[in-house]
Formats: sequence, C-alpha cells, structure tokens
Amino acid sequence: MPSKGKAATKPKATETPATTTSNPTTTNTTSQTASQPSEPTTVLERSQQRFEKTRPFEAARRQQGLSRLSKEDQKGWICDQLLHLTNRLPAASRSCLLGPKASKEIWWTVNGTNSIVRGLKHKPEPYTTWGTDRNGHDVGSYTIERFDERFRQRIALTALQVSSRVFRENVEREKRGFVDARSGREIIVTEREIDEEKVRRSKMAALKKDLYGAITGKLAESVEWEDVVPIPHEEPEGALAAITYPAEYAEAMSYLRAVMTTKEYSPRCLRLTEHIIAMNPAHYTVWLYRAANIFALGISIPDEIEWLNEVALANLKNYQIWHHRHLLVEHYYPTISSDPDALAQFAKQERDFLIAILSEDTKNYHVWSYRSWLVGKLGMWEDEEELKSIEKMIDEDVRNNSAWSHRFVLVFSNPKYATPGKAATEKDEKVPQELVDREVKYAQNKVYLAPQNQSPWNYMRGVLVKGGQPLASVQGFVEEFVNKLGEGEEEEEVKSTHALDLLAEIYAEKKENEKADLCLRRLAEKWDKIRGGYWEWRRKCLTQSEREKAPGEQVEKAEEGIAAA
Amino acid sequence: MENDNKAHEEPEQEWPYLDVHRHLRYWKMCIRAPLPHVYLSNESNRLALAYFIVNSVTLLTPPPSERTPETPEPLISREDKRAMRKWVLHHQHPTGGFCGTSSLVFPLHSYDIYNFDTKTLDEPDHAGLANITSTLFALQLLALLADEEDEAAGENVFEGVNRVGTLRFLKSLQREDGSFGEALSDLPGHGRFIAGGYDMRYCYIATAIRWILRGDVKEGSPGWVEDFDTEALARYILNSQTYDRGFAGNSQDEAHAGYAYCAIAALTLLDRPLTTSTSSSVPHKSPLLHSSIRDLPGLIHWLASRPFVYLEPPPPSADQDPDTYIYQEDDLDDPNFLLPPTPSDLLCLLSQIAEKKGHDKTHVAFNGRTNKVADTCYFWWVGGALANLGRLDSLVDREAARRFLLEKMQHRIGGFGKSPGSPPDLYHSFFGLAILGLLGDEREGGKVRGFDAGLAVPRETVGVIERARRKLIESEKGGKGVVDGEKELDAVEMGLELRGGGERPKWLGACGY
Repeated sequence: MPSKGKAATKPKATETPATTTSNPTTTNTTSQTASQPSEPTTVLERSQQRFEKTRPFEAARRQQGLSRLSKEDQKGWICDQLLHLTNRLPAASRSCLLGPKASKEIWWTVNGTNSIVRGLKHKPEPYTTWGTDRNGHDVGSYTIERFDERFRQRIALTALQVSSRVFRENVEREKRGFVDARSGREIIVTEREIDEEKVRRSKMAALKKDLYGAITGKLAESVEWEDVVPIPHEEPEGALAAITYPAEYAEAMSYLRAVMTTKEYSPRCLRLTEHIIAMNPAHYTVWLYRAANIFALGISIPDEIEWLNEVALANLKNYQIWHHRHLLVEHYYPTISSDPDALAQFAKQERDFLIAILSEDTKNYHVWSYRSWLVGKLGMWEDEEELKSIEKMIDEDVRNNSAWSHRFVLVFSNPKYATPGKAATEKDEKVPQELVDREVKYAQNKVYLAPQNQSPWNYMRGVLVKGGQPLASVQGFVEEFVNKLGEGEEEEEVKSTHALDLLAEIYAEKKENEKADLCLRRLAEKWDKIRGGYWEWRRKCLTQSEREKAPGEQVEKAEEGIAAA
Repeated sequence: MENDNKAHEEPEQEWPYLDVHRHLRYWKMCIRAPLPHVYLSNESNRLALAYFIVNSVTLLTPPPSERTPETPEPLISREDKRAMRKWVLHHQHPTGGFCGTSSLVFPLHSYDIYNFDTKTLDEPDHAGLANITSTLFALQLLALLADEEDEAAGENVFEGVNRVGTLRFLKSLQREDGSFGEALSDLPGHGRFIAGGYDMRYCYIATAIRWILRGDVKEGSPGWVEDFDTEALARYILNSQTYDRGFAGNSQDEAHAGYAYCAIAALTLLDRPLTTSTSSSVPHKSPLLHSSIRDLPGLIHWLASRPFVYLEPPPPSADQDPDTYIYQEDDLDDPNFLLPPTPSDLLCLLSQIAEKKGHDKTHVAFNGRTNKVADTCYFWWVGGALANLGRLDSLVDREAARRFLLEKMQHRIGGFGKSPGSPPDLYHSFFGLAILGLLGDEREGGKVRGFDAGLAVPRETVGVIERARRKLIESEKGGKGVVDGEKELDAVEMGLELRGGGERPKWLGACGY
C-alpha cells in the first residue's frame, strides 16, 4: 500500500480539493444532510447511510448524474470504481487490469480523497438485499433490534440443524450396526437423545415458521415418521374439480399413501387416520384403513366407540362414521354374543348414544338406518326401552316419519312372530291380532293430534295390510274427517286429504266405485289440486282393471316376475 | 335484437326462464378455479364433482347440429376434452375399476406386490382403491367428454378402459343377498371384505356400469365375462319396498326418494337391452318394473306424495302480516314445510296470497321423505323415478315445479342451491339442470338438452356410450390388448429409429419390448 504521507500531498498540488474530508464538492447541500443523518431507524437506512459514507462519489453520482459532478469528483468517482473493480479480482490478477503506473495514480487519488477502500459494494435496496420475511415484508424495514433478533434466530436455527444432522446420522449408523471408532462400542441412540431431538425439531419448526413462514408438516418433523418416505400427490394434466386444501392435509395424505402401499398396521397409522379424519371426516378410504388397523392391532372396540361418539356428534351429517360403527359392532358382537348381560349392557350404551345424537338431529337418515340394523343385530326386539324411546320421540314430534318407520320395523319384524322373508308390504298371518289392533289404535290417536300429518295415516294403512285386514275395518274412523262430501261447496268439510284418499281406497275395495270416484274428484278439483294429475289417474284406475299400464306402453304381464322367486 | 329481448321478458312471468348464460358462468368458475375448501369432504370422490361439472356443461351446451353462428364457443374445448379424458383414465386401477381421486392413485411400483418383470401387481384381484361409484362416474365422464365435432372420435372414448377387469371387479362387489357394496377391502381377521353400507345407490350403479360395459358378447368369445347375479339383485331391490310403499336402502329403513329413484332406475336398467344395435331412444319393456314391484300403485302413491305447496316463510314480524295469521309457533322452526293444520286453512291461505299477487300460480316443491323439507335434488330423484316409470308427464305439475326451481332455488350468480336462498353448490346445481332436462323446455334461449332418466346423462351421450362400447368390444375381439401399451411400444420404435438404427439393445428385451 502506498504510504499515506505521499498520497496526501499530491492531489492538493494539482487542484483545490473539494474538502479535506472525502465529501465531493458538488453535493454540498444534499450530502450535508446525508452525511450527518439522524440515527437510522431501520436496517435499510443504516446500510444506506453506510453506503453513502463509504462510497461518497458513487452516492453523489447516483444523486446528480456523472456529468454534473465537478472534474475533481468525477476523477474521484473513476478511482472509486476502479478500486472496487480491482478489489473484486484475485490479488494476482489485479496487475493485469492496469499497469503499475496507472495503479499508482489511482492510489494517489484514493488516498487524497480519503476514500474508504473497503466500502459497501452495492447500494442496499429494499426487498432484494435481505429478502422478505414470512409475511412478505422487507426485512430491510426492520428496526436494528428486530433485525439483530432475527439474526440470532438464524444462528440458532443453523446450530439446531447441525445437531439434528448429527442425530440423524447416528440413527442411520445405529441401524447399520456401526461401531464408534473411539469407544469401540456399537452406536446406540438413547431415549434421551430421541427426546432431545423431538424438542430440537419442534424448536426448528417454530424458528422456520417464524423466520420464513415455512410450515414444516407435523409429520415430517416428527421422529416417529422418520423411516417413512411420503408419496406426494402428483396431479396429471387436465384435472377437474381440484380442491384447495391446507398443506397439513396434503402432507398427511402423502404419508397415508406411503403406509397404505406397504399395508402397515401400527399405532402411528391409527394416529395418522385420526389426524386426517379431523380434517376430512368423509374420506371413506381413511375410515376403512382405520378399521383395518383396529382389527389388526386388537384395539378395544368399546374404546374406539367412545372416541367415535365424539366424532359423530361433531359431524352429524357424516355417512362414513356410521359404516365404521357398523364394522366395529360386527367385529365386537361375537365376543359378547354368548353373554346376555354384556349384550344388554352394550345395547343400552348404544341406545343411550343414539338417543343423544337423535336429539341433535331427529331425522338423521344414517343414524336411523344404523339403529334399525342394530335392533336386529343385538336382538333388541323385546327391549321395552327401545319402544318407549320411540314413543317419546313421536310424542315430541308427531311428524317425525323416521321414528314412525322405526316403530314399524320394531313391532312387525320381531322374529318372535314375523314370518322370515315376508316383505314389508306383504300380509303376515302370524302377526297377532291384538298387536295389529294396538298399533291401529296408536296411529289413530296420533291422527287426532294433526289430521293432515301423513305419517300416522301411512302407518295405519301399513299395519292393516300387514295384519291382512280390509281397509274398510277403519271406515268409521276415516269418515270422521270427511263431512257432507259432494253436498255443496259450503257444506263440504275435509279435515284431512289423507282421509279422503284412504276413503277412496275403502270404497273401491267395497266396489262402491261411484263413491270412490267422488272422493278422488274432490281431491283433484279442490282439496289437493297440486296432485290433480295423480288423482285423475286414480279415477281412471277405478274403471280400468289394469291399473298398471304405463301410458303408451304395452306391458307383458306374461313375463315371469322375479318377485315370485 | 331489442325486440327479441322484450319477447323474452314477456313470457318470463308465464313461463319461468332459465338463464343459460348465467349458469354457464357458474360452471366456468368451477372449471377454471380450484373449488373452495368446503368441498374437502368430497376429496375422496372428486370424479363425482367432475361428473357434476361436465354433465352440467354438456346439458347447457347445444349439440353441434343445433349450433348457430351466434352460439358461443363451447366452454370445454376439444383439446380440453382430450386432456380431461386422459385425466379420468388416470384413475383406473390396473386390475379394473376406477378410484375416486387422483390422490389415491398410487404409482404401481410403490406397491410391495409390484412385480418388476411382469410390470403389474402380483395379485390379479388386488383390492386396490377402486370403488363402484367412481367407476360409474369415470365411464360417464369419458362419454360426456367425447369430441362431438367428430363422431368417429366419440367412438374411441373408452379406449384404454379395462372392460373385462372392470366387469370382474363389479361382480366381486356383489354380496350374497344380491346387493352391492362400494369397494373391496382387506380387513385383518375378516379377510377380503365388501365394504359399504346397505345402500340402494350401489345397486343402481352396478346396473348402470353393467349396461355401459357389458354389451352382447356371447359366452366363449373374447371379452366375455361372467355376469353378476341379476336375479338376486332384482330380488334384493324388490324386497326393499317399505310398509308405506316407498323404497329404502332396505325394507327396514325409512322410505327415501333417492333410494326410490335408484331402485326404479336399477330395475329399468336390468331390463334395458344390452345389444349395441338397439337405439336407446325407443322405450324398452321393463317387466321387472311393471309386473314385479309388489305394490306399484302404492309406489306411485308414495312418489306422488312428495310434491307439496311451498309457502314463503313468514316475514320477521309475523304478527303484522295478514297472510301469515295461520302459522303456528312451532311451524316457524321449519320454514320450508309450512303446511297449515287443515286443508281448509291451506286453501284459505292460498286464496289470500292469490288475491294479493293477482294470480293463483303456486310454487310446488319436492321433499325426499314424508314430512321433510324442500330440496332441489329431490326434484330430480322424484322426477327421475317417475320418468323411469313413464309417468312424469301425467303426474307432475311441470309448470309449478319449474316455477319453484327457477324462482326460489336458482341463484343470482348461477347454479341452484339446496333450499330457497341458499348458495349454489355443484351437486344441487347439477340436479336442478338434470330435472329441467327431463321436464323439457322447448322455449328459445332457456333450453337444456334432453336427459336420459336411467343413465343420468344427456341423450346424445347415451348414443356415444353405445358406439364406444361397440368399438371397445371389437378391439377386444381383435385381441389387440391394451392400447396404451402399444403406444408405448411405438415410442420405443421411434426412439430406436432416432438413434440411427444399429442393433437393438439387449436391455430393451429385458423390459419387455
């Protein structure tokens, strides 16, 4: 390096230097404020100030343009440029750029202007210099303190990553049975080390999230899933109906794919299904896979059912939950079928839960469907509580057709007297008369509460057919709801269109076609006009013996019906 | 042009108008942007969503023969259709059947039982992740995505479908009682197991897949597969009529319009001729339907009971509005099923409303079960069931049903909601259009394609299915094998040629080329 003494004299001799400091002359006013700036508030400001301090000529040029600088400053700027250019080169090749004489000249000037040789190379810019943080904000806009904190976090993360790397390598070495070179013992990863690694990974995930907004999936960071290579989802081109879902879901599915292809059944798989079900309870494959895990691992079914209860209450409209429950009960039943007490206890538990969930959603089809299946599976036919709880639901809402439907199954499918294989719409001679009477009476009492409610009408008719009784056996009851039919608009009174409908059937049954026709006509004309087409069709059926003809279609009755089989 | 618009506006009062463009806008949004997070519950069955989208767009797009120079470009271009068909085929499981979502299509080699020599799975009846529902949607999608500009191209839409494997897969899903499950699953301790509830939907889907793929291949010829037990299935379905004469998943459950449709359509499809020469537009005889259902008049009664007069929910200050004096306290919980206590009350209310409005046009809604609320999809399930029975025209007040759908269920941004005022969703938006396709609407502008009540696709698509099936069976007879494999081989040959000839590398032989 050239000596300072020599350098200081030379430029002074040529021309009046701008100042004794390094400030270029032409930037008086602006650089004055820039050179004595207020305390920087952000990192960007601090670095820009540093830039201006260390590269005064470059800063002045940027502000004013090269042509507006004084000769002296232009010279200073050129030297500054050359200096930074040569600084970038390896020491050995610096002399190639400029000859020794020119180099000397530059150093003279540099020393004369008190340029700072190791100034900032680039002017710091927002965004590009430090990048953005997790929220997309410029890190340069951070306060000094905040920036220092971020810097410490990055150091901490790096340190953790190094330790984690060591741990992973140790796991790998343990797996391969490596021997520690120094101690001569086999490498063993201790429980403590695993615990430490768990802490480390959660720290790393927190730091990464804090610094970069990177969401490390819970699974990728967990030691438990270390040995599984997730299979990411690759969507081919032309995809339809893509759904936006969180990264967490995508990650979990990629692990699910991995364990499903190897048919792994393990506690961690069970936890994985729970994790996915919490995000998407309608994924039937996940439920099936969960069932497979439960059966393979011999998990207690009552425990699983208890867990399932919570999930069911949180997802009322879900279908898969009930299929899963069905599978669980099928699996569990043989273990308790020989113990009547256990069976009764289980039936009670199930009913208690069904009552609870039906109180939330009284007509839930999946729940009712499961319930009717359960009655058959556990043989709850004679269980008085079952009938009582249904009666209670009908009392609460006489229009709850689901409850009516369940009642019919409960009463008329009881294997104690029901003939196996009889269809629901078929007469069954074995059904006791008093039962038929009891149910007809029950339905009639409910009709009085709300005559226009179709459920008890349907029920009563179903009971009569099952019991093989003529519909006319309830004629007196039905006629209570119809007064002075056809005796004038003012006189005529119909309390229920369903009564008029049934009355038409009763008259037709008794071959009183004219009376039947009147009922149907009044329904079409006045009482139930929106079904006009239907009532007209029924009227036609009264005169035609073949009621079944579809319009314009010749049906061959000769075809052997499969129903006969 | 202005006059034309006026002409549209006038009959709008008389005949509710379907704004095709608005609906297309809704579907365009569903194609172009990912569906919102609420659809995550359908992630396992994305093919169903795709089916709703493509079927609806097809319903709203006039067939090439009816297009005029003013008709806008179809929403799905020919190139898009090709790419989408490829995407659908990607869901096929190597041993037959389709998976519901590409996220469950695993690379073959990721299976433990993958055989690198035979390049397939070492288990010919691998349970896989195919399911019955997605299999039908995939086949329907392939046909819906046929290039309509080119009839010959339409023939090839089933190219690459593993027909024999899929029919075998279908057969393996039938339970002993004749019903169908949705998927095969290996449950430890239970062995190979047919998963899925006792659900009439699977029974219907089985008959539809059978009709689409089976054809009239004679026993012993190539491509013949043993049929599933159709009699057992029919018996199961016929036994599922309930005490109140509707249909359910089985006779122990509550009657439900969705299941009624599935039961009736399944019986119709079992009787629908499988021969490729029969044109599907001619109604076929269905002895199963017309002489085997135990109580057919009862079933019609049950279906005819589904429509009801829809009454507006009362305004917030119910006590001030004379229209609503009749409502009772507890009715207010159920604003969708506001039937007054007696028929006279209803008539009285209706005449008051008519007086106020100046006309007596009512809104007719459909429910799916006795005493349940209105829902767009039940227009389809009930209407479709009646259409299969040949009774849609005579039993449904088409105008009142249309009016309700278009005035109450149609949404401002296009599409249909589940109930009045609710936002549109794919499922209800599709079924709203489907029932309009069945009801028919010949008015200019608001037209949708005619719909097949059995296969739930536009009628033109049924023709595509028939041609594609014939072509697929022919290709099997020719013993050409899997078409994709051939393409791969072509690529190998092309590669060799580019390499500049020379000896065929030995490793190619090891790979099976």
